[in-house]
Amino acid sequence: MAKLLVVDDEANIRLLYSQELSDEGYQVVTAGSALEAVEKLESESFDLAVIDIKLKNESGIELLQRIVKERHTIPVILCTAFSCYKDDFSAWLADGYVVKSSDLQELKDEIARVLAKRQRGAYV
Amino acid sequence: MDWECCWSREQIEPENCPYIGEGEEDLLVFQRRRIVEKCVECPRFKNDLARMKGSGYPLSDVLPYILTEFQEQKTQMGAMLSFLNSKTREIKFLREVGLVLQTSLDLDEVLSIAMTAITAGKGFGMNRAFLLMTDKDRRHIRGYLGVGPKDYEEAWRTWEDISRSNFTLRQLARDFQKTKLTSEKVKFHDILNQLTVPLSDQGHIFNRALTGKKPILVENALNNPDLDRGLARILGVDTFLVMPLISRNRRIGVIIADNCITHKPITLQDMQSLETFAFPVAFALERASLYERLQEEVAKQKAANVKLREQQELIVKMEKMALVGKITSSIAHSIRNPLMVIGGFARTLLKGTPDGDDKRGYLESIVRETRQLEDVLSEVLDYSESLFPVTDFWDLNELVGKAMGELEGTLEQAGVHCRLELAPELPMVRIDYKQISYCLKTITTQALAAMDPGGELRIESVLDGDGVLLRISDDGKPLTQTAQEALIAPFFQTQELGEGVGLSLCKSILERQGNSLTIFSRPGGGNTYSIRLLTRKENI
Repeated sequence: MAKLLVVDDEANIRLLYSQELSDEGYQVVTAGSALEAVEKLESESFDLAVIDIKLKNESGIELLQRIVKERHTIPVILCTAFSCYKDDFSAWLADGYVVKSSDLQELKDEIARVLAKRQRGAYV
Repeated sequence: MDWECCWSREQIEPENCPYIGEGEEDLLVFQRRRIVEKCVECPRFKNDLARMKGSGYPLSDVLPYILTEFQEQKTQMGAMLSFLNSKTREIKFLREVGLVLQTSLDLDEVLSIAMTAITAGKGFGMNRAFLLMTDKDRRHIRGYLGVGPKDYEEAWRTWEDISRSNFTLRQLARDFQKTKLTSEKVKFHDILNQLTVPLSDQGHIFNRALTGKKPILVENALNNPDLDRGLARILGVDTFLVMPLISRNRRIGVIIADNCITHKPITLQDMQSLETFAFPVAFALERASLYERLQEEVAKQKAANVKLREQQELIVKMEKMALVGKITSSIAHSIRNPLMVIGGFARTLLKGTPDGDDKRGYLESIVRETRQLEDVLSEVLDYSESLFPVTDFWDLNELVGKAMGELEGTLEQAGVHCRLELAPELPMVRIDYKQISYCLKTITTQALAAMDPGGELRIESVLDGDGVLLRISDDGKPLTQTAQEALIAPFFQTQELGEGVGLSLCKSILERQGNSLTIFSRPGGGNTYSIRLLTRKENI
């Protein structure tokens, strides 16, 4: 069972993600801030992280950069209400990019795609 | 004694003296003036003097000395008078020239008066003059204007014309400026063209005159070892004057003057007069050309000011638009999160609700309405982003490759094959990369909607004058005229946000960046969407 880390500053959205992704058969751990996410990344191992770009006063892209810099070899999917970040060069570090929507299908597809890629050995 | 001459008589009759001409009749009654003006020259008076000597008059030995001295003094006086007259004329003339030169700011007027003054009989009366001026970057001295007749016949005609008219110098100059300035430039074009000399050529006669700040009279030019023989051949004369024009320490140019028709020698006095005249001319020429440059600068400044004002207005407009965009995007963002939670949970609930349950209908409504709201939000955000293009030079082929890569899944789903025909080595296009990618993707999606599985989508890029043409062709059902019009109708005119503004948004994005979008449908099937992108930056 793949283990996902979901980072979003809104409790309701964390709840929605947990619910829906658990239904898909993933093990879901959530974090409400970048700090919490880093702590969890250091203590547990994950197969994939879903990160909101806008985290209260922090930036999801900075968190992404930190993950890449600290050599956590996990794929990251960025998730946001803004579509314009798609062309922020730092966002290109992410393995996937999903615009927030009440229809979580796109996110689910993206997770499946990235995990499949990982399984093929891209992140070992 | 009975005198042969009439000097002893107080009053005489006209037949007594053959030397009194018409208009001098008053001398008949003025004995003193008659003796001074006529008798001293009269041969009969000389005879009387000789007779007087023979008869032993005591003063007869002294008188011839006094008379000779008197005659010499008289000649000298005459010469001085004529010199004085010519000087008075010259001063009057210089005053007239000076007045114009001091007041004129028009280069052509200054040139006309200066050149007329040198060549007109009322002025210095030289046959011909050339003006050479230092060019703008101060590297060369170049032939600028020549004035004078080209041959004897023309000279004769001109002089006759002038002697018949009674124009003042100023009138002559004005007439010259109006009728002859341009033709004179053309007339001596060949000579003027050959008179270009680099200012660095220290040995050249023009530069020698400028360095020495003194006019140089060249005589025997064809055999002068110090002189470039070519110059004499170009001018076609053996004797000419090179007059430097210097204002303060600035080298303005050179005047060459000669008497190519009459071959009258150039005197020292000609040289001195011209030298006096050269000062105000140089000064006026400098002032006029400075004024001309000032005018050019003023015009440039004015244009710059207009541009600046336009830019300022644009900035104000853009600031307003930026504020609108900021508000829009901030509202859209804060709506999106709760909307996602509402719709997301409704979907979750819907999944857990059995088919026959009454609640399903309510939940489906929530899901449907949420989706609609989300679509509106996306379009509002796309629109507010489209207001602020960030243009730069990009490789269009690379953009096409990347965008089509992103659409790979969509194409696969539609069962459509995509053929790229990209022209190599296209110039970079000035675009907002993000927005043009959006347009390409939107148009492709639109094209796919008209296609059946198994169809072929062709994307071409070709050079088109000063732009690049990007053509997206499908082989689907041709769009009707009405459909085409509705698709690219100006944004906001026919459609409200949230009713599928895709293609019209593309059109307004492209047009805002100075580009264009056209749709062409072939009756036999297939549609071509052409985007013309500019490669030059000034059109943005």
